[in-house]
Parts: sequence; C-alpha cells; structure tokens
Amino acid sequence: MAGISEKRSGAYTFLAYVTLIVISIFCILPFIWMALASIDSNAQLFLKWPDSVTFDHYTKVFAEENGVRWFANSLFTVLSATFIVMVVAGLGGYALSRSKAWWKQPFLYAILLIRVLPSTALLVPLYKILLTANNGIGTLLRPLVGEHYRSVMQLFGFIDGYLGLIIVLATGQLPLALWIMKVFFDGVPKDYEEAAILDGATLVQRIRRVLIPLALPGLAAAGLFAFMSAWGDFLLPLILLSSPELQTLPIGLFRAFLRVNEIDYGLLAALATIYLIPAVIAFSFARRFLVQTFSGGVKG
Amino acid sequence: MTTPMIQLSGVRKSFGSVEIIQGVDIAVEDGEFTVFVGPSGCGKSTLLRMIAGLESIDSGDLVLNGKRINDVPPDQRGIAMVFQSYALYPHMTVAQNIGFSLDLKKVPKAEIAREVGRVSELLQLSELLDRRPAELSGGQRQRVAIGRAIIKRPRVILFDEPLSNLDAALRVQMRAELQKLHQELRPTIVYVTHDQVEAMTMATRIVVLNKGRVEQWDTPIELYNNPINTFVAGFIGSPRMNLVPGTIIGDAASQSFKANAGWTTRLDNRSLAGAVGQLVTLGMRPEHIQPATDNVDLEATIAIVERLGAETYLNARNGDDTLLVRAQGDLALAPGSTVKLALNHGAFHLFDQSGRVITG
Ligand SMILES: Nc1ncnc2c1ncn2[C@@H]1O[C@H](COP(=O)(O)OP(=O)(O)O)[C@@H](O)[C@H]1O
Ligand SMILES: [Mg+2]
Repeated sequence: MAGISEKRSGAYTFLAYVTLIVISIFCILPFIWMALASIDSNAQLFLKWPDSVTFDHYTKVFAEENGVRWFANSLFTVLSATFIVMVVAGLGGYALSRSKAWWKQPFLYAILLIRVLPSTALLVPLYKILLTANNGIGTLLRPLVGEHYRSVMQLFGFIDGYLGLIIVLATGQLPLALWIMKVFFDGVPKDYEEAAILDGATLVQRIRRVLIPLALPGLAAAGLFAFMSAWGDFLLPLILLSSPELQTLPIGLFRAFLRVNEIDYGLLAALATIYLIPAVIAFSFARRFLVQTFSGGVKG
Repeated sequence: MTTPMIQLSGVRKSFGSVEIIQGVDIAVEDGEFTVFVGPSGCGKSTLLRMIAGLESIDSGDLVLNGKRINDVPPDQRGIAMVFQSYALYPHMTVAQNIGFSLDLKKVPKAEIAREVGRVSELLQLSELLDRRPAELSGGQRQRVAIGRAIIKRPRVILFDEPLSNLDAALRVQMRAELQKLHQELRPTIVYVTHDQVEAMTMATRIVVLNKGRVEQWDTPIELYNNPINTFVAGFIGSPRMNLVPGTIIGDAASQSFKANAGWTTRLDNRSLAGAVGQLVTLGMRPEHIQPATDNVDLEATIAIVERLGAETYLNARNGDDTLLVRAQGDLALAPGSTVKLALNHGAFHLFDQSGRVITG
C-alpha cells in the first residue's frame, strides 16, 4: 500500500514540478528577451544572445529621448496617488471596519463596482467632468497667478495637469485599498485601542503610536497594489496629458514605438527595463511588511 | 466606616433595547480583591468596562474614593485594566509595552527605565525586556500585561478573565502569583471570571452576577455555606450542590422532605410547621451525602464511579433524582450496584418555589 501511494505521490510531484517549470519559463521569457535586447548592439524581435554588449540604448533613453523627465513624471504622479490612497484607505478602512452604520455593506459593494466597471467605458463622462473642473479651477487661478498661468495649470489642472491625473489614479485604486484596509482592521482587535486609552493615549497618539504601526502590513499591501496598478496604467495618462513635458514613462515608451519608421528594439527594451525597475523595487520593499508577522500581541 | 474605593449605586446599561446591567449596587473596599463571577453573557465584562470608563453608564452613580466619576475619562480615573486578550502591542518590546503609559506622559527615559526595571523584577520579566510579545509564552504575556497595568501604581486594577487563555497548570500557578502580587502591593482589585474556583480561591469578596443583576454579594465561605437562592447554590461550589425537587410533609410537631422521586428524609432543628405541603427544593453539597450502614436515608443505584484516590465521586440514582456523592477515601464500588446513603441533616438548604432560601 505504502509503496503504491509513494510511487503515485512521486509521479505527482514530478508532474507538478514539470508543470511549474514550464509555466515559469513561459513567464520569464519576455523578461529575458527584454534584458538581453536592452544590451544588444543589434537587438531583434526574437530572443537571441547579444551580438556585442552595449549600454548605448540606456544612454539614448536619457540623452536623446526625454527619459529622465518621463521617469520623474511617472514616479511623481504614481507616488502622489499612492500616498493619497494610503492615507484615505487607512482612515476610511478604519472607519468602515469599526462603524456599525446600516449603509456600510451597500457602500462597500458599491465602491467595488467602480473597480469592476471597465474604466474605458467611463472615460467620456470622466473627461467631461474633469474638463468642467479644469475650467473652474482655471478661472479661479488665472487672476491669482497671472503670467505663470500655464505652469501653474500643469501642476493643478485637471486636464493636462498633474493634479487631475493624480486624483483619477488614486480614485481608481481606492476601492481595492479600502477593502484591504477594512478587512485588515477587522482583524485588529479593539482591545489594542482600549488598552492605549487606559494607558492615557490621546486620539492622535493612538493613531500614531498604536494604529499606524499595527496597520503597517495592511498599508504596505494596499500601497503596493495601488503603486503597481497605477504604475502600469496607460490609458489615463494617454487621455489626460497632452503636453510633451508631462508625459509619463509608458506614454513615452508608446510614442517611441510609434514614432520611428524602423523600430529600434534595443531602445524599446531599455525603456521597458527602466519602466520595470520601480515596480520590482516596490514589490521587494513591500514584501518585507507582508511577510513580517505581527501575531502574538492579542491571543489568536 | 471608611468610604469604599469603588461604589456602584443603581447602575444600569442597555445595548439597544436590551438592558444588560439591570441596577447594580455594590461597594468595593480599599485593598480588597473583589471577584465578579457569573455565567457567560451575564454582563460581567460590561460592568467592569463601565468601571474602567470604556462603556458609558446609562443611569446610576459610579463613585471612586468618594468622587463621582461617571463622566471622568478612562485615563484620568487612576484605574488600570488587564484584558482577556492581553492586548500587548505587537510592535513594541516588553520594556516598551510596560513603559508605554509613562512614555505617553513624557516621563524622562531614565525614570521610565527605572520603573520598568522595578516592575519587571517584581514579575520576573527582567530577562525578557527586549523580546516582542510574539516571542513570549502565554504565562509571560500575562505577566507583561500585568506589568503594564501596575507601572502607573493605579489605585484600582481591573482584570477581565485574565487566566482563561492559559492551560490548567499555568492557571493554578498564575492564581498563586496574582494573590502574592495582591498581598505585596495591596491594590484594590476587581476581577472578572466565569470560573467559580478562581473566584473562591482568590476573592476577599465575591459578587455573583446573573442576567445583569447581583444575586448575592459576600465572602467566598459565606456564599458557600449560606447561598440565598438556588442560582448561587448551584453556581458556587465544585462539584455542584445537589438540588432535589420535592414537598414538605408532616404535622405541626415534625416535618420531613419528600422527594418527587419518592424517598423522604427528616428536617431537623427547623420550625417549618407553616410550610407543610409547600413545594420546595432541597440543596445538599456532595460532601454532605455519604455511603453509610447506620442512619440510612435512602438507597440509590450507582451510575458512575470516579476514584480519585483521596476521594471518590459517586453518581447515584434514585428514581428521577441523580445525587452526586463526594465520599472520603477510596471506595471500590461497582456501577450498577446499590449503595445506602446517609445525609447530613444539619447542612440542608431549603429553597422555595421561586428559588429563595427558606430560613427557619
Ligand atoms: N457592544 C455591545 N453591543 C451590544 N451588545 C453587547 C455589547 N457588549 C456586550 N453585549 C451583550 O451584553 C451581554 C453581556 O456581555 P458581557 O458583559 O460581555 O458578558 P460576560 O462578560 O458576562 O460574558 C451579552 O449578551 C452581549 O451580547
Ligand atoms: Mg466577558
């Protein structure tokens, strides 16, 4: 009996490993192509060993293209949106977890709907709303800032301005983040807060010294998902930004792909590699919080 | 008479339309170890949290050391609390957990360290100060939670079922440690438990709660010897008191108890002439029923025998009545056999139909 089941489990293990290896190769191939092509002096569409190793493609991204600017734009808008998401989801998730209001469940499912609806379908009304808001803030700001109007609107405008993109990016990421934080706080017993109250902590001290440290793994997870998802967003910056100096990295990549008659695969691969790095860093950074165990304070 | 440390007068509390605390009047003297005991859901925790200030009080007065504190914020009451879950901050070390309340008050670091040192020595935590709660055993966590409570030298410490998460052996040990701590520091302690053994072993006085009301409030031995109703009689004491339904029979001169199952026994030293014919419940502690050859009151069939060595517990049946017998010494009795039982007539408790004790 034991022999048969051992043989069977051996075969299963073998099959499982083969399947996993095939899937892994399938997943990792594009990355290998990208990494190799980005340092290949004669990069092609197919996977091949570099003819000779060169870093010209990377130099080109920063020297000839506006790579630094795109990268900075992406980082600024996405980090700002992530920050907003973490603050709002942290406070909102806490409120949604502790509240006993009747509208709690309907609200939670309603915001999930935002996530489920394809954003492409909402683009036209969204654009219309942002345009109205943009005109509004424009009339408000024009008399105040005078000749700096254009550069101020690039910061605070809703169309072709950072603020609009940041808010829309944050809004898109909020439902999931709110859910993550709500569920996370559901698992944080009220006892911690009550213990802190009896220890003499004020509301601000309770948030800063007890709730935020307790919520850190959840906030890291919510922030991670928000960052990765917003970092990968292509449609919103494409629609909302038109000034070349506001372009984000994926738009720059896209334009570089379209612009030249002959496609420079080396340049594209280098751009894509640069585009990838923050996501990888974000992941490895947030992983620390996800893995870190916070068990043991309250008996589980 | 001195003013009590804690006094509750007509304290009430409702959640929604359900009144959970239905008018509680008790007083806890300074330095006393008072235990609230009662079945799960009877409102013990709620009452304790009202004293702590974590729940509001609907009506009635809560007076601490002569001062009404119904509306005083929790941290200004001079009361500390140990939670059932311990609620140690998982991101802080043991030392940070214990010193947190002082740190919040901006006490200088050196003084915090000194105080944490004093408390950790008292609780034998000195070796563990740099660990996090996750790296501690249940008993150690329990001690850290106590350390966090006593560092501010509170006048009152509240405990909500602090031992319920520990295994049986550790519970016995922590019970002794808590008593030692109480003797050394002499704080006023209010301790909640559903375990009457904990209550009996530690309390100066016990408050028996049931359905949001105080059933009886007295010293442990007084509760054991003179329960005022069937609830307290059945709740205090382990194993439980036998409660047998029946009727008082006899005449003006002498009365007996006739169990519904049919057997009868004399009721000595009592003037129950007026109660003849009344339906009552007879309460007998298991140790007051013994196997005997003389003065036999009834015969019963043994259902279960538990031989513990020094004692033997018998589960004996007579008709519908099941009697728990706690006999001294080891008795080699077989289930199914018949045993003659003698009752200690002087230790009978009689309760009327509403459950109240009948004196007389
Ligand atoms: N915050 C609350 N909201 C509604 N009902 C509550 C709340 N807290 C406690 N209760 C109810 O009050 C009753 C007493 O609870 P509790 O004081 O925790 O009992 P115990 O500690 O004696 O087991 C229970 O029926 C419980 O369901
Ligand atoms: Mg309780």
